[in-house]
Amino acid sequence: MTPSLREKFLTYLLVIIILVVFMTPIYLILVSSLKPSPIMFSRPPRFIFTPTLQNYYDLFTMRPFHLQILNSLLVALGSTAFSLTIGTMAAYAVSRIKHRRINDVAFWILSMRMFPPIAVVVPYYIIFKTMGLLDTPLALIIVYSTFNIPLTVWLMKGFFDEVPEALEEAAQVDGHGVIATFFRVTLPLTAPGLAVSAVFCFIFSWNEFLFALMLTGSKSQTVTVAVMSFWSSDAVQWGRIMAGSFVILIPGVIFVLTCQRWLVKGLTMGSVKG
Amino acid sequence: MSSVTLRKVVKRYGQVEVVHGIDLSVEEGEFVVLLGPSGCGKTTTLRMVAGLEDISAGQLEIAGRVVNDVAPKDRQIAMVFQNYALYPHMTVRQNMEFALKPQKLAANEVSARIAEAARILGLEPLLARKPAQLSGGQRQRVAMARAMVRTPKVFLFDEPLSNLDAKLRTQVRVEIAKLHRRLGTTVLYVTHDQVEAMTLADKIVIMKDGHIEQVGSPEEVFAKPRNLFVATFIGSPAMNLLPAKVAVVNGAPVLVANGFRLAAPPSIVSALDPGASVTLGIRPSDIRVDEAGDYEAVVEVDEYLGTEVLLNLRAGNHELVAQVPAAARPAPDRQSVRIGFDAARLHVFDTQSGEAIR
Amino acid sequence: MSHTANRDRRIAAVFLIPAIVVLFATTIYPMLYALWLSFRNYDLAKPFIPRIFVGLANYAEVLTSKAFFHALITTFKLMAMTLSAQLVLGVGIALLVSQKLPGMALARTLLLIPMMISPVIVGLVWLFLYFPELGYLNYFLGLVGIGPVPWISSTQWALTAIAIGDIWQWTPFIMMGTAAALQSLSPEPYEAARIDGNSRWDVFRYVTLPQLKPVLVSLLFLRAIDAFKIYDIIFVLTKGGPADATEVISLYIYRQSFTFWRMGVGAAASFVSLIIISVLITLFFKQMQRGQAARAR
Ligand SMILES: Nc1ncnc2c1ncn2[C@@H]1O[C@H](COP(=O)(O)OP(=O)(O)OP(=O)(O)O)[C@@H](O)[C@H]1O
Ligand SMILES: [Mg+2]
Repeated sequence: MTPSLREKFLTYLLVIIILVVFMTPIYLILVSSLKPSPIMFSRPPRFIFTPTLQNYYDLFTMRPFHLQILNSLLVALGSTAFSLTIGTMAAYAVSRIKHRRINDVAFWILSMRMFPPIAVVVPYYIIFKTMGLLDTPLALIIVYSTFNIPLTVWLMKGFFDEVPEALEEAAQVDGHGVIATFFRVTLPLTAPGLAVSAVFCFIFSWNEFLFALMLTGSKSQTVTVAVMSFWSSDAVQWGRIMAGSFVILIPGVIFVLTCQRWLVKGLTMGSVKG
Repeated sequence: MSSVTLRKVVKRYGQVEVVHGIDLSVEEGEFVVLLGPSGCGKTTTLRMVAGLEDISAGQLEIAGRVVNDVAPKDRQIAMVFQNYALYPHMTVRQNMEFALKPQKLAANEVSARIAEAARILGLEPLLARKPAQLSGGQRQRVAMARAMVRTPKVFLFDEPLSNLDAKLRTQVRVEIAKLHRRLGTTVLYVTHDQVEAMTLADKIVIMKDGHIEQVGSPEEVFAKPRNLFVATFIGSPAMNLLPAKVAVVNGAPVLVANGFRLAAPPSIVSALDPGASVTLGIRPSDIRVDEAGDYEAVVEVDEYLGTEVLLNLRAGNHELVAQVPAAARPAPDRQSVRIGFDAARLHVFDTQSGEAIR
Repeated sequence: MSHTANRDRRIAAVFLIPAIVVLFATTIYPMLYALWLSFRNYDLAKPFIPRIFVGLANYAEVLTSKAFFHALITTFKLMAMTLSAQLVLGVGIALLVSQKLPGMALARTLLLIPMMISPVIVGLVWLFLYFPELGYLNYFLGLVGIGPVPWISSTQWALTAIAIGDIWQWTPFIMMGTAAALQSLSPEPYEAARIDGNSRWDVFRYVTLPQLKPVLVSLLFLRAIDAFKIYDIIFVLTKGGPADATEVISLYIYRQSFTFWRMGVGAAASFVSLIIISVLITLFFKQMQRGQAARAR
């Protein structure tokens, strides 16, 4: 039986209010990024105006934002590739090994992702400084792997758990070794998992701020740090901040709109069934 | 006054109509079984009675009151679900209490009803357990107890036995029959298992593709199937069907079926048109196998079932299954037997329409 | 040696060792380095003082300092504010958008967007809304006769302002987890309750909530662990101020290390915070293992 008309009306009213509240900040980023500076804070706020791409133009010309995008891409893709390789293999081990302590190993790996970044910023700074890696993409690739590897392990473990072991046993009976079985039989069956893990690794790296702020200088600055720097300079460049913010949030929004059903798995580490 | 009445009840999902105007009345205290193949609309019909599905058109009355727009809770019904629908985090007792909560009864009345239901269904030792700690049969009984404590006007069951193994199914079936005898409450029961239907029902409703094919007592639907569908659906092994023509010999109609010439059942002689194409139906148990038989048949396979034997026979072009008592089993080396038919026990259907000729 | 143990060993050697080595090098080693630092007088502002071993002096300083305890309390205050609001709102919204009505799937999807936005951007957009004199939020509140509220410029409001930003970003997390859990509940008990006539509140209170509880506990643990680490949004909005009103643990460590350049003290505080969060993480893992065991049954 369907809810009554009044209930439906109330439901939709509430949902619309909730959507307005939750979408307004995002909408403001877009609108403000297209707003000419003089009317940025006009009273009453103006939502109808001739949009301008001036802020975006400034974003890419007054500072090399495209280079910062490249830095971010390099770091995010690098860390994704590295974490995916190492993490997927570990996930397979965690999923297949029968030893009763293997769960402890899995939880130990997961815990590596949960410690506060600020606690290790200083050691990273000193270590990278002595290694000459400060202000290089490699430093961030390494650091981001510390939370991307555990993420991959837990996501992929879920996918491997679902591949029936009988398939692998069949391959082994046919004479394939452990490694051949993994690459020829198991891995192809978990392709969706690989894609999802990759996207998560990418987005988390792309969005990261604290380490990027502390471990990069002008050379390998990433987009999040760059946008923040428009704020710290003498006058607040709201137009450019909003334009930059909009560019930064594009990958995340695309991800949500296309793969929302994987978000539960990725964000709860399998503690909630998706 | 009947307890449940459906008048031209229709169910549509969007454009698709899955129940096409059903008329049915369930008398007070009657045990009515909806029987039919998968997807024929039994569950949908039951859920409309429960109020869990809207009725697209037509009228539904429960206890003389039109309840189309009445909420499930106000229909004075109780339902036993296929998967039992027990609250997994509540004990058996809590499950029953929660079902009674809306009735706002005094505490001692609640415990009295629970005690009574537990006694009748043998659940006393299980009251403190949770559903996960019960066997399938026990869960089933809890689901019935939970429905029972509410003292509804009508019980609705949706394939309550389909999750049980064969032995348990027989047991619980008997329990349901006993429960009905004891409480005398009206029951509407859905199943696709004809044994359940035949053993439990006062009245069987045979459905197909959202239509009712026949309504009748188990004896009626077995002995007088109204059409080919009912004839073949009821009875196991299924009725033998032979295409035949109506001929007239010496002024009396005779059914000619490729080598067989059978006298027409006396009751329908007047209804047979000479030259018409008909389908003959012969239940396996109605085939006589003895020396006095009129026709020769070859035994291709015989299946021994303990008390009886199924003979797969070939007689001319016809393949027939005959069911005979084990004592009458032909010797294993016998290649052929003689068979005969009893005119009064023949079923004759119009081939075109599939309707029984009466 | 049994055949399976043998196979375990081979898989471990090839597949597991690389990850463990990498994680040791990139996580455990820096933590040990922090531990080492925490026993030293590592003060970058005073480069001429030798970086000697000072025993537990840094820990003594941290554990007796008012500022550290203030930061600890502020962290838990913020955690309490955000978690309670996220729980109530998240579950409420989940119940609302889990109804089988047209458009609800879209609403569920749209509501997930805040989670995937960089925390810096979240900070910046809320800064834009809160901005003294200019921010839109006070303008709109003014229209309905509220305010102006000195969101980030008063010690009274700053923590709330930060909480609102975090609630905005992470209420969808509770919503999403709850909606997923709701979907996995079987519909039949709800139909049974409808036939029995249980009130909506009773159904929620006695049927839905008990079944959601394990999921909600897990979700809250994850939120608590994140809330303990909160940094970016505060860095953008208030940098721990005004005064020390929003100085949570992370900001305290940041200030010790990078404002006062007292790396040793910062490292000691880091270690204390690692110990606290380890407790949270351990409790969460216990909960998760319980969940796995329950599901395996
Ligand atoms: N929600 C729905 N939307 C569209 N069609 C439906 C829906 N529910 C059921 N149907 C269709 O209605 C028809 C009747 O379904 P119903 O569940 O009543 O069958 P049934 O007789 O109970 O079968 P079974 O013995 O398999 O349980 C089926 O063809 C089914 O596909
Ligand atoms: Mg059904």
